[in-house]
Amino acid sequence: MTSHDWYIASRVAYVTRTLDPGDERIFAEHLAHCNECREVTAVIERELEWLPMGVKPAMVRPGFRGEIARAILTKAQPARRDRWPLVLAAASLLLTAGALATVTLPARREATRLAGLLAQRETQLSQRDSLLAILRDTLSVVRESSRVLQTPITVNGTSGGLVIFADNAHRRWQVVMHGLPAAPAGQAYQFWFICADGMIRDATLVGDPLRPAVYTLVLPPNSGAVLGASLTLEPAQSNTTSGPKGRELAHLLL
Amino acid sequence: MADPPTTAPQAQRSVGRRHLQLTTHESLHTRLVARDERALAELIDVATPWLLGVAESILRDGAEAEEVVLETFRRVWDQIGTITDTSAGLMPWLLRVTRNLSIDRVRARKRRVDAEVALAAEPLDEATRAVEPEFDAGVPGTPAHRAVHDAIHTLAPEQAHAVRLAFFSGLSHSEIALALGVPLGTVKSRLRLAFDKLRASLAGIREWAI
Repeated sequence: MTSHDWYIASRVAYVTRTLDPGDERIFAEHLAHCNECREVTAVIERELEWLPMGVKPAMVRPGFRGEIARAILTKAQPARRDRWPLVLAAASLLLTAGALATVTLPARREATRLAGLLAQRETQLSQRDSLLAILRDTLSVVRESSRVLQTPITVNGTSGGLVIFADNAHRRWQVVMHGLPAAPAGQAYQFWFICADGMIRDATLVGDPLRPAVYTLVLPPNSGAVLGASLTLEPAQSNTTSGPKGRELAHLLL
Repeated sequence: MADPPTTAPQAQRSVGRRHLQLTTHESLHTRLVARDERALAELIDVATPWLLGVAESILRDGAEAEEVVLETFRRVWDQIGTITDTSAGLMPWLLRVTRNLSIDRVRARKRRVDAEVALAAEPLDEATRAVEPEFDAGVPGTPAHRAVHDAIHTLAPEQAHAVRLAFFSGLSHSEIALALGVPLGTVKSRLRLAFDKLRASLAGIREWAI
């Protein structure tokens, strides 16, 4: 048995994280310079990638999804306070309906039904809550913007445009691309920030002539002052680290 | 979450099995790369029950599990541009991150003894029942869950038990040996055989793509 045999025998345990912590560290150090083990562990990882789905899905408490969205997309929002009037209104309606219904139905059955309805309403409100947080966040960029930039664009005879609400105080821009068709085959609409240190590739935008595409973009850090933006048609698989190579559709400066 | 209007193809659910057909995973990935917040909302809506299930099974602490799930979504939002291996969609990536974060936490806090003794004391039928689909079959992702469950049921009972302790509860070889009172080599061999079978039976899952 060679020393490498231990690593071969431990590959599955490493991927599934069942090695003891000390052995895990030893294996990780070995992986750094063993191509064979790296390749095989990658294969094992793919083969077992669905195994975690063996757990039961957990019950998600009402409001948790909204909290996730808010925590990621926004700073602290007083959503809880906003929601109570809606909850109380729903509860009030249900209680009124309940009072009428109890005239004809046994009290216990009706109470159970109302509790179910109330829980259902709470879930719906929780879902609305998270959507509201997202919309509020989107709208805040528009309301806080210090500059609005816009330009018409024509692609393959179809006219549309690009509108930018620049909220430089919070380093976020709302970018709206409207009226443009889907990008030609093999190409993509590429948004760039024009910075003091060069062009910084950002989002790939999706063209839809029927609905404006709305994106909230965070200004790139460590790239010098942001001077403006550019929209180009790039080859879909173009190098993500290189500068623009395709046709420029818009060039906007602050 | 609700069904918001979106600039990208809308979420759709099949009538019969209702497993996820949100959009193609390529388009969800593309929309996330493009910082489409509605895509994030759809992802949170569908993936949260599963990620929470993974975290809770390892951490056995609801509040801490929620923190792990939040951190997972924060990472996918922050790192989506660097996630390139998405041939099976984003879900395996999310599951892996959640599981790794949970194991890191549990090892950092050096919890154990009580939990592992309780786990080891459970009879095998209890242990295997814990991965059975007792929930609403309409939950998106149920077909993938069933496939995993079926694969685990093909294992010998002692192998299934070891897999549950190792993979779903996050115990290491030594911890399992201690909990079960069996030699370390026996644990390693049970798990090696079990995972080799599971690799073969799970490699074909392509049901659920986000």
